[in-house]
Amino acid sequence: MNPGELPAPDSVIALSGVWKGYGSLSVLKDVSIDLRQGQVHMLLGENGAGKSTLVGLLVGAHAPDAGSLYLRGRKIAGLRPAEARRAGVNAVMQDFSLAPSMTVAENYFLGREETRGVFLRKHEMRSHVIDVFAQLGVRLNVDARVEALSRPEQQLLEIVRALGGKPGAIILDEPTATLTHEETELLFAIIRRLRNEGWAILYITHRFEEVRALGDCITVLRDGQRVAHYPVEGLTDERLIRDMVGRPLESFYPDISAEAGDVALSLVEIASHDGALREASLHVRSGEIVGVGGLIGSGKGHVGQAAFGLLRLDAGHLEVFGMQRNISSPSEALRCGIVYLPQDRRGEALALNRPAHENISFEMIRTSAGATRGFLRKRRLRSDVDRLMKSLDVRPRSSATEAQRFSGGNQQKLVVARALSRPRQIYIFCEPTAGIDVGTRVELYRQLVALCRKGAAVLLITSDLQELVHLSHRIYVMREGRMVGELRGEARTEEEVTRLSFGLSSAPEQLREAPR
Amino acid sequence: MTRSNSQSDAARPKARFRGVSDVNAWFARVGSLPILVVLAIVVFAWGNARFLSEDNIINISQQGVYLLIVALAQMLVLIAGGFDLSVGANMALTSIISSKVMVAMLAAYPAVPWLAVAAGFVATLGVGVATGALNAFGVGVLRINPFIVTLATTSIFQGATLIASEGTQVDGLPKPFIYTLGSGFVGNVPIVLLVTIPIVLAIYLLVSWTRFGRNLYATGSNPRAALIAGISVTFTLAVTYTLCASLAAIAGYLLTARVSSGEPLLGGEFPLRSITAAVIGGCSLRGGQGAVGGVVLGVIFVTILANGMDMLRLGSSIQMVILGVVLMFAVVMDRYKTS
Repeated sequence: MNPGELPAPDSVIALSGVWKGYGSLSVLKDVSIDLRQGQVHMLLGENGAGKSTLVGLLVGAHAPDAGSLYLRGRKIAGLRPAEARRAGVNAVMQDFSLAPSMTVAENYFLGREETRGVFLRKHEMRSHVIDVFAQLGVRLNVDARVEALSRPEQQLLEIVRALGGKPGAIILDEPTATLTHEETELLFAIIRRLRNEGWAILYITHRFEEVRALGDCITVLRDGQRVAHYPVEGLTDERLIRDMVGRPLESFYPDISAEAGDVALSLVEIASHDGALREASLHVRSGEIVGVGGLIGSGKGHVGQAAFGLLRLDAGHLEVFGMQRNISSPSEALRCGIVYLPQDRRGEALALNRPAHENISFEMIRTSAGATRGFLRKRRLRSDVDRLMKSLDVRPRSSATEAQRFSGGNQQKLVVARALSRPRQIYIFCEPTAGIDVGTRVELYRQLVALCRKGAAVLLITSDLQELVHLSHRIYVMREGRMVGELRGEARTEEEVTRLSFGLSSAPEQLREAPR
Repeated sequence: MTRSNSQSDAARPKARFRGVSDVNAWFARVGSLPILVVLAIVVFAWGNARFLSEDNIINISQQGVYLLIVALAQMLVLIAGGFDLSVGANMALTSIISSKVMVAMLAAYPAVPWLAVAAGFVATLGVGVATGALNAFGVGVLRINPFIVTLATTSIFQGATLIASEGTQVDGLPKPFIYTLGSGFVGNVPIVLLVTIPIVLAIYLLVSWTRFGRNLYATGSNPRAALIAGISVTFTLAVTYTLCASLAAIAGYLLTARVSSGEPLLGGEFPLRSITAAVIGGCSLRGGQGAVGGVVLGVIFVTILANGMDMLRLGSSIQMVILGVVLMFAVVMDRYKTS
């Protein structure tokens, strides 16, 4: 829909020419979007392009400064969240809104419990949930407590819960970010069924293959403006990238050639107390990027934790530059020159209600340049922070802004800025590009290669196969807590990684034992 | 703490007053507290002309100074993401122990009363570190919820106080303790205020200008992230709770001088009042937030409120009601400020 037009007759919810700003900052400028029945509408845009704000307007969390909102063709002034929900407009965001200590069934009916008089109809509600799950092909134990579920399972519950009631609109914000391949397939099947039942679906993603697999039409936002809107049919990646970043990207993955030096970090037959790692061995050289791949649950994420002193080990040991080290806490790991960038930025990396400059300078204040005898050298710190924020192009470029006010990609930049704030020999990146837009991703890859060329050893743990294959000099593949193979040179292909991940036999000349 | 970024300021033309959005921005930065303080002063001055008299201002400063120390102590643990309900019981225990020590020293060396005062102070620090270590062990090492830990230690400290005092007050404290430290003046300024100023400055430097301060904010804001950033969360929590208890003990010692005897029931109102003042002053119960300037203003507000209501002859029961309402109001305003 274009500004000034009325929504289509089968529109569920539509925005026409809306503006939204905070203070002097305009987040959305004259944006229009129409969610129509039986359509999967893909929403793309870099981090900070205004996607979250747009969703906020659709569910009534914010009110537009100008422009109009139509609910089923009727113009509404001041949509309230409860009204949006009653009209069947639901959003599933990345921050879950589940009650962890309650069961799956209780969460499903949270806020809309069925009662007889003042009493809950527990039995009826429970069997209703079982029916719904069976219908949708969802395999979740309705009596399990939500805190006992894995993140993907919680995600699935969140989505299924938003579907209660008659067909309306559902908004999914990067729903596959934490899902495994099978779960993703299940989700896609659910989405296709919903579309056929007449739901309007807004699907926010950074993954082009999802656009093609699911989408009917696309809206691209850039800097708060709608820069493109077209059907998925006949779409090319080049066109999409150009629309998202505003310029063509010559090469997505950088040239990674670099000189490898001595072995910087070795994990020797590590077994962790929680059983996630059974016999994990690997080594990384200076000036080398080593990828670790494998399915979710293969233990690849635990490799990073083990090397950073976050995991209790039952067997095996760590060596840093040939010396056996007993690393049992992050502070010891940092002293050994190891930096770890966790996957869960909000939970594990950032002090969310503290300003950006404090988050970036955690490491700097431990050096004599950052503090003398425990007292901070604030001016020096601030200029260093400003320099880092500028070099990584963090937006907004405001070091006093709280970390939680940055978009996901920019939060990741804050974490990267901290890691770069102090030269180290060994960097461990865990899923560095999860939830990151194209532009930031390219920037991050460049930083990674730059680190490696400066002689750092980089361990890249990732679920993104393309990234794994294109950015690593060597790749270890994990399965059930063990290294099941090491790939070098021509053997570094997505197919090979996948085959090893699933435990399928490989062409013998390509499978080699991880050398000690 | 919220400082605008120099770069974005430079890029923008020097802004003139832009009406509502400027007021909003200013309000978001400083919150509602300065307005409330001014409002309270205006209302009380209008209600009773003596409110702004020199005598009463001195009076307010004498009333507020003890709360100031305890509220700043409370601020430290609030920044660390906890709180300390045992500050009141701690003050009573300090009052009894330090008084007993002073009386004993005075009996041994009657000619040098200052020696007794000094011994009392050493005893105070001893009580502070001991009680603080207990809270620190529970919260920092065992990682028990601070509500439970400090509720339990409150009971322990109260019991210890009653055992030590046998329920009676301790009289016969050194004269200089009562007349100099308790109610002495230099010019028009109460001595206890002069003693407190360096304490306030030290806390300010600690939280805003040291590495420890940054570790403290990070620990309170996100303990897991703090751990991964290489901060020892256990150490930070332990030091913070010990500092809090030591500051509360010092406040108990100073307040003992003011009331001129060791009191087993001293300080009962301090847990609620210190949390109220700190939260009004911008500390968040979720940790990671709060600063000395705001808490000082919060203490001023709470103290003015109590003093002004006294002058308007409002009974203490109605004052308790009003203080509770103010605390809830402060929490709601805090939420408005952060959203």
